[in-house]
Amino acid sequence: MKSRTYIGVGLIGLGLAATAPARADTLRDVIESGTLTVGVKADYRPYGYLDTDGNVVGIEPDLAQDAADVLGVDLELIEVVASNRMQFLEQGRIDVMIATMTDTMERRGVVEILNPDYYSSGTNILARKSSEFSDWSDLDGAPVCGVQGAFYNRKTEEEFGADIVGFTGTSEALNALQQGRCAAFVYDDSFLNSRLQEDGWADYEMPLETIDDAPWGMAVKTGEDAMAAFMSGMIVHWHTTGRIVELEEEYGIQPVPFTRRMHERYRGYIPDSGS
Amino acid sequence: MSRTRLEGTTDLPVLMPAADRLAARAQAERHLGGPALRLSLLHGCALALLIAVWAGAVWAQDTVAGEVRPGVFAALWQWLPVLLGGFVFNVGISIMAMGIGTVTGTALGILQVSKIRPLRSSSWLVTQFFRNAPWLVLLFYCMFLMPFEFTVLGVTIPFPDWVKAVIGLALPVMANVSEIVRGAIQSIPSGQWEAARSLAFSRRQILFEIILPQCVKRMLPPWMNLYAILTMATVLASVVGVSEVMTLTQRALAAESRTDLLVPFYGFVMLLFFVYCYPIARYTQKLELRYAVK
Amino acid sequence: MLEISEWFRVLAETSGINLTIVYDAYDRERMVRGFFNTILLSGICLVLSIVIGVVGAWLQGSSLKWTRRIVSGYIQLFRNTPPLVQMYFFFFALGALMPRMQNEWGIMEPILSNWHWAIISLSFFAGAFNVEIFRSGIEAVPKATVEAAKSLGYTRLQAYRHVVLPLALRVCLPALNNNLVNLVKTTTLAYAIAVPEMLYVANQIWSDSLNVPEMMTFLLFAYVGLLALLVWVMNRWERSLRLPGFGS
Repeated sequence: MKSRTYIGVGLIGLGLAATAPARADTLRDVIESGTLTVGVKADYRPYGYLDTDGNVVGIEPDLAQDAADVLGVDLELIEVVASNRMQFLEQGRIDVMIATMTDTMERRGVVEILNPDYYSSGTNILARKSSEFSDWSDLDGAPVCGVQGAFYNRKTEEEFGADIVGFTGTSEALNALQQGRCAAFVYDDSFLNSRLQEDGWADYEMPLETIDDAPWGMAVKTGEDAMAAFMSGMIVHWHTTGRIVELEEEYGIQPVPFTRRMHERYRGYIPDSGS
Repeated sequence: MSRTRLEGTTDLPVLMPAADRLAARAQAERHLGGPALRLSLLHGCALALLIAVWAGAVWAQDTVAGEVRPGVFAALWQWLPVLLGGFVFNVGISIMAMGIGTVTGTALGILQVSKIRPLRSSSWLVTQFFRNAPWLVLLFYCMFLMPFEFTVLGVTIPFPDWVKAVIGLALPVMANVSEIVRGAIQSIPSGQWEAARSLAFSRRQILFEIILPQCVKRMLPPWMNLYAILTMATVLASVVGVSEVMTLTQRALAAESRTDLLVPFYGFVMLLFFVYCYPIARYTQKLELRYAVK
Repeated sequence: MLEISEWFRVLAETSGINLTIVYDAYDRERMVRGFFNTILLSGICLVLSIVIGVVGAWLQGSSLKWTRRIVSGYIQLFRNTPPLVQMYFFFFALGALMPRMQNEWGIMEPILSNWHWAIISLSFFAGAFNVEIFRSGIEAVPKATVEAAKSLGYTRLQAYRHVVLPLALRVCLPALNNNLVNLVKTTTLAYAIAVPEMLYVANQIWSDSLNVPEMMTFLLFAYVGLLALLVWVMNRWERSLRLPGFGS
């Protein structure tokens, strides 16, 4: 099973690479140089975070390692943040970006986001049980902590009238929430779920319904068709084998409905090995 | 070391007891060529007090949160190598930025007193611009505008992030050094310039052989002050994504996912900077006293 | 006014130079508020840091050894640690220790908000430098002048207020000027504790509109412009307060 899918995936990639006109071809460069450079987050547990030795570990670095293993090259991880991840791709500094990036039309204009998407999360809030929020409109005028740069901050402010208090990182925002400086913390529901499973958050809940469930996409530089085809094949392979669900369980979080759904949909999918 | 018998002293109790000690110290400093750094027991007590205050703040925060979580110091111990490595990186960035900034700033400062008007005004403009721009914005520009690798004659030279941060920090340093140099040159009495001219020295010779050597002593305290400011400013590189001590602290906090670690970790970073910068500040004070120009 | 906004919108679509703060009403409002917040924050911290400087310089001249030592300790602590980390420490550590009051959302909130802590942190940071500056200014006042004041019956405090301080201010004005410029630049650090000054707002805008270079250029010119104005005002003031015979 494994080798058949790998061969299929590889053929997709190399086939497209062979038919592409002569221009900068990252896939060929990666195979020749022997290193795949992937941009990942280093401050978002459990998708990408630091261990005490200073290495980046997590779900996304593990996926990157899988891709590197298939190509038979070494893996180099570059830590990125939201404000520079697309820029690094454009500059050619990283070959692939797997950095918890939500797939939006605007971003598709800047980089090439691969199909299918590999993950998904929605927006929700973490609030005290005593606050008794029941609807998003309850946030009108309330101070709501957030992380600077998150794309749903603006919507929460404009549509629901909240007053976003943006901090530089999740630890700072959570600390402010606990100090009582804001009524709620708006962030990805997957992250908030993981927090609720930890100690110390017994008085908190996610009271509202998750909105804007938006899928995450991996990305390559615009025009890199060969690399795009290869990574798309890898994503299909991961959904087929349920690798992402497996990684979620390994890192101790509740698998999101999206990954389960995709695993069901792609189970038994065999790519056409082409003629 | 026994009290050395210095010349000109007497057995008669006319000198204060401290005079011998001070005379001996002066002799030692003459050998060294400059003031020596003396950190006494008082400094050790002050440092211990600071650490106690920090530990107290950690404990107080833990208790306020309602539960005393175990292992705060254990967590700090685990992350110590990463944080210390990050701090060494900060120090490295500061030293390199200071080096580049000093060399370019000295050149710019000399240009600021040039006789050629366009050189003088353009260097003045450059200095004022980089002095008034916020350091963070300059840093951001350098990260953005510079490519991440150079291809020169077929050889690809990588241009990592920290190099861009060094250049970004060297720009305001250059402007400030330029001002320091200009101030020092202009504080030399004009009589020296006139005397040297009358001895047929060329302008270049006057500058490099007579004026600048005198300026070095005057420039040293503000220059060291600038280094202290620069070391503090290396923390700004965290905003642009360089893996220095602030970034690593934030990542460690995100990985540990415990809000009660925020204060201990940031307090530890503060301690690191204090332990590094305070001796430098004391030394600068000594230099200022020694080289004070009335 | 509408034509200007439209021109910038067209510019964004054709050339890619995206300045949403001109043509987008929401962003424009945010940025204007951020600009005024920066001025407000700088102004308050300016005044407070000068007060701290004056008080600290007076305490440093006191005859009690421990008063002098405490002031000296405060200066060394604030000068040798990064202001960014100071701000974090003030807000998250000391902020958590403050007594709590119930706010309108039914949550027990510490009494000092992030604005207050930003002001406190920045004022103490700039104040530490000001104490040294005022100290050097005070020491530049000739002893004979102080003795003359004393012989005229001024107490120490009165001599400080009426004789020493005005003279010291004129002597240390250039250094003070420098420090105030640094203070305005340092207010950008308040973004870390969510004070909506210019850098914070610019950060929000460029995350939404993906126009980092444009926003950075705008910030550069906004700060350089603001500082040029401040420097010009301070220079005028310096010139009007110039003591004949002091300095060149």
